[in-house]
Amino acid sequence: MRVGRSGVAFVGLALILLWVVLALAAPWLPLPSPTAQDYAAFAHPGPSAQHWLGVDPLGRDTLARLVWGARVVLLLAPLSVLAAYAVGCTLGLLAGYYGGWTDALISRASDVILSFPVVVLYVILIANIGPSAFNIVIAVVLAAAPGVGRIVRGLARRLAAQDFIAAARLRRESGLYIMVVEILPNCRGPLLTDVCIRLGYTTIMIGTLGFLGLGLPPPSPDWGGMVQQAGPMLTVYPAMALIPAGAIISLVLGFNLLADGLSEAP
Amino acid sequence: MPAGSLLALLARRVASLGLTLLAASFLVFMLTQFSPANVARETLGAYALPEQVRALTRSLRLDDPILLRYARWGGVLLGLKADPLQDPRLGLHFTDPRGARYFGNFGYSTLFRAPVADVLWSRLANTALLGALALAVIVPLSLALGILAGLRPGGLLDRLISVSAIAMTSVPEFALGVILVAIFSVALRWLPGTSPLTTGAGWPLASQLVLPVAVLAIYDSGYVARMVRVAMIEVLGQPYIRTATLKGLSRRQVILRHALRNAMIMPFTVLMLQINWLIGGVVVTELVFAYPGFGRMLLQASLFGDVALIEAATLIALSIAILTQLLSDIGYWLLDPKARG
Amino acid sequence: MLAEFGGEPPLASLRRQLAEGRIGRREFLRYAVLVGLAVPEALAEIGAAGTARAALPQGGTLRLGTRVKDIKNPHTYSWGAYDSNVCRQVCEYLTLTDHDNVTHPWLLERWQVSDDLQTWTLALRPGVKWHNGEDFTADQVIWNLRRLTDPAVGSSFLGLVKGYLMREVPDGTGADGKPRTRLVLWDAQAIERVDAHTVRLHCHSPQVAVPEHLFHYPALMLYPGDNGVFGPGAQGTGAFTLTDFEAGKLARVRAVKNYWGEGPQLEAIEFIDLGDDVSAGISALASRQVHGLVDTDPMQYPALHQIPFLQFYQVSTAETAVLRVKLDAKPFDDARVRQAMRLGLDNTEIMQVALRGLGTAGQNVHVAPVQPDYGRVPAVRRDVAQAKQLLADAGYPTGFETTLYLPASPGWLAAACQAAVEQWQEIGLRVKLSVMPGAAYWDVWTKVPFGCTLWYHRPLGVMVLGLAYRAGVPWNETGYANPAFDRLLAEAEGTLDAARRSAVMAELEAMLQADGPMVQPLWRTLFTFMDHAVQGFTMHPSQYVFGNQLALLAG
Repeated sequence: MRVGRSGVAFVGLALILLWVVLALAAPWLPLPSPTAQDYAAFAHPGPSAQHWLGVDPLGRDTLARLVWGARVVLLLAPLSVLAAYAVGCTLGLLAGYYGGWTDALISRASDVILSFPVVVLYVILIANIGPSAFNIVIAVVLAAAPGVGRIVRGLARRLAAQDFIAAARLRRESGLYIMVVEILPNCRGPLLTDVCIRLGYTTIMIGTLGFLGLGLPPPSPDWGGMVQQAGPMLTVYPAMALIPAGAIISLVLGFNLLADGLSEAP
Repeated sequence: MPAGSLLALLARRVASLGLTLLAASFLVFMLTQFSPANVARETLGAYALPEQVRALTRSLRLDDPILLRYARWGGVLLGLKADPLQDPRLGLHFTDPRGARYFGNFGYSTLFRAPVADVLWSRLANTALLGALALAVIVPLSLALGILAGLRPGGLLDRLISVSAIAMTSVPEFALGVILVAIFSVALRWLPGTSPLTTGAGWPLASQLVLPVAVLAIYDSGYVARMVRVAMIEVLGQPYIRTATLKGLSRRQVILRHALRNAMIMPFTVLMLQINWLIGGVVVTELVFAYPGFGRMLLQASLFGDVALIEAATLIALSIAILTQLLSDIGYWLLDPKARG
Repeated sequence: MLAEFGGEPPLASLRRQLAEGRIGRREFLRYAVLVGLAVPEALAEIGAAGTARAALPQGGTLRLGTRVKDIKNPHTYSWGAYDSNVCRQVCEYLTLTDHDNVTHPWLLERWQVSDDLQTWTLALRPGVKWHNGEDFTADQVIWNLRRLTDPAVGSSFLGLVKGYLMREVPDGTGADGKPRTRLVLWDAQAIERVDAHTVRLHCHSPQVAVPEHLFHYPALMLYPGDNGVFGPGAQGTGAFTLTDFEAGKLARVRAVKNYWGEGPQLEAIEFIDLGDDVSAGISALASRQVHGLVDTDPMQYPALHQIPFLQFYQVSTAETAVLRVKLDAKPFDDARVRQAMRLGLDNTEIMQVALRGLGTAGQNVHVAPVQPDYGRVPAVRRDVAQAKQLLADAGYPTGFETTLYLPASPGWLAAACQAAVEQWQEIGLRVKLSVMPGAAYWDVWTKVPFGCTLWYHRPLGVMVLGLAYRAGVPWNETGYANPAFDRLLAEAEGTLDAARRSAVMAELEAMLQADGPMVQPLWRTLFTFMDHAVQGFTMHPSQYVFGNQLALLAG
């Protein structure tokens, strides 16, 4: 049973690593520029010797755009999840450790944000502050930090009642020390799974924003935007849209399988 | 929890609903301050002169300070104040058959140039239909999958279902929409590629709903099925189930009489939360299928900068989310004897 | 301004040019109608009158995919094909510019223009009736024109006629302490009622394009009793009446009995909203949920082209994207930089990528070969070496960095800009794209240092040059101010001799090629696909639909 489970996790890890390696190696791979337009390939956009996965509606190499697009998503997703964790952990620790008014204020504010349907929140945010890499990070932090905060708060409350925290208090350690050194490391286990799930979900969200036309400005290779731009070609060159869709699915699947394996692990 | 505490819970929740709506409406209003959209220019078009754009901005009161506009919006919503945009002297032709001043007046949509109430409810009804059908698929599908998987954890069936469920939640709605259209509309021609909900073209309404419902249902079913599976495994490990088995009840009886009811509790909670996910999911689904619903309207309103419509949509989405959560708490209370104390 | 050669009256001159073979029949028709000859007579002169339409089938409901935007205030329509196409079936215009760029009288029977092009006499077509049976009268026309020119109404028609029918008067001081002005008709008698069926426009400066302006999409003739508001059951003179309307979803018009003109054959037309996703349009056509699309994107062509039951319609237009700079912004103030930017692009390739071949390459002159006054200029060629040399001479040996602003819609603009940016890389220009929501761009389009502006089709090249490149005019987005250019442009505007006018235009175009403020890489061919069952359709360069001409084959 364990073997089967960790097998699943291994597949997930392999999928993620595949994209990480491709993304890291992108500048050294023998690929055309992701924005270079091949006017010769334009009329026959299917896979060919020059373009293994064909070209997009503007004659740009699909493989190159996938690989460079992986850099975008593999940078943006972890970065924004990390930022969301920084904010979320801070808020969660404060709320869970101090309780009282701090807790009430943070929890109420989090509730407001958590009540938003996530896509709705993203759409309203990005439509108003404009699409850019930085603003996507902002949006992810705003949408995800309260969720992280809620988990950390729960864990912190439980831990705060335990003996080793009481001992630290007796040692007159500062609140900051207790939160960061004593409590946070003990939240690691449950949070690790959550990180993977959130990475998967953030990848979906970045793709969705790209698909809604709220992604990175052109000509940046953006997986969701690639699906949207190739959408009209679906009946003639289905691969043009299905390949970037497959790329998103494979990466999200990787994160989700890994999360599943981690949650089942002892 | 005795019945009295249920009432207290209700009261607390209603109060928190009010506060949440207030905070969220303020947040959204402030956000629109950053909007690059320009309602007056969008309304009058590229050829209008700058002075005309300025005049319309003035008539729409869009140049007032944002706090003043927020206060006015709140006053109009609560029926404390007549909607100033309906003043016939402004020449905007904004008229609402319900009058200019009534409780729940969401104001005038600058995008559709109609009272928000005229625009909102029909689209919400369309989306509710989509959501209800999706839930009608999600519930039995995810329960069946989850229970089957949870019966023999680690078995072949469980592994198969679990991995499929993960795969289902790994496909973004927009990708799924594109894939389903490629298969069922383009290749097989079984189903229409868009769902404008008009039947003139000979595609019955039911056929137009299949693909959008499938997109919503597949994504969510995977998630809920995994929850059901976890709950099922947990319940089957409980002492009273073992007792029941020891008492000589057949496995089938144990599962039907005891396990299912208890295993329902957690997924029920999760399921109610899914309504929140569904509201988000419809934005993408409705765009792909040109479905005249709430989600597409919200996307359009956000891009146009139609504050009245964005606010109304936000408040409704939030109310639905919060009320379903309340329902899930009540349901939890009803389903779980321990919670009733 | 209308400098007629040898005192020869315009019509006589046109007849002579036709007889001498110096202009074609279409050109004759276009100009003869322009100077006041009624269309049937003009057609008779070129021997094309009386071509009876083939008998068209009756009945059926035509379904068209489009966006269904708010249509309540026709005089403030701003979305061209989207909002006016519904109202166009119910209410009509005084004139009609057809798919061939010929402007006909429509609710007018004829117009006459004075030789100085300042007095336009508009004679209403007798026998036109509103749906309620009332006659269509001069007073109603005046009511509509006054409303269209009232700044408080907010019609973009005002922007067109501002230069010849309006003047600015002081209007107190604004909140910022600066004096304010407002626009009023320049003379109380500017719109004069001659009799019950005749209206006269008095302009304070000559204007040749008045009939075209009367077909500007907000200039619909509304029933005064409806107070400028359009909706289900509103009065009109057209072949249909609006029965159902839901913004964002559906508009439905039903045929009326006793329409004054030809048709209608159809029983009803439904406009179905398919949203902004271009893929949805393809799906709807492929599933036969609609018979055709009003607006298509070049990206839809490959898919639609493959559907066997669809008919392709196209028309070459003067619609274009102009990559223009502000002449007072560095580094674009240097003519060598602008020339390098032109030399750095292969216009044909940009057209191929952005329009998928559905267009023609531009020559950086903003006068289209389909426009009758176009003058031939040499084709432009990409020359990377010379472009680099020019940049180096201008002090940018390694090129420079800049930002190109563009509106988010239509989507082919972004495609064109991406192709241009990619090519400019080779001469050292590092251009970042900043995509703005459409309305946000239209608010700053005359101000951004480097922008991509969409210019719609106009029937004449002089109209575009006068709007965009004459010194100081409101839509001169580049700050181009060239006295020699303005002088020649005035000459072109006042010349009816086709050959001479084209020669003047060629000179103007050469000036733009030499020191112009823009690259104008392509001309768009507008196209659409309709089910084979649709009869009587022709593609209009502004995507207008004329429902009274259409019919549906049964089955």
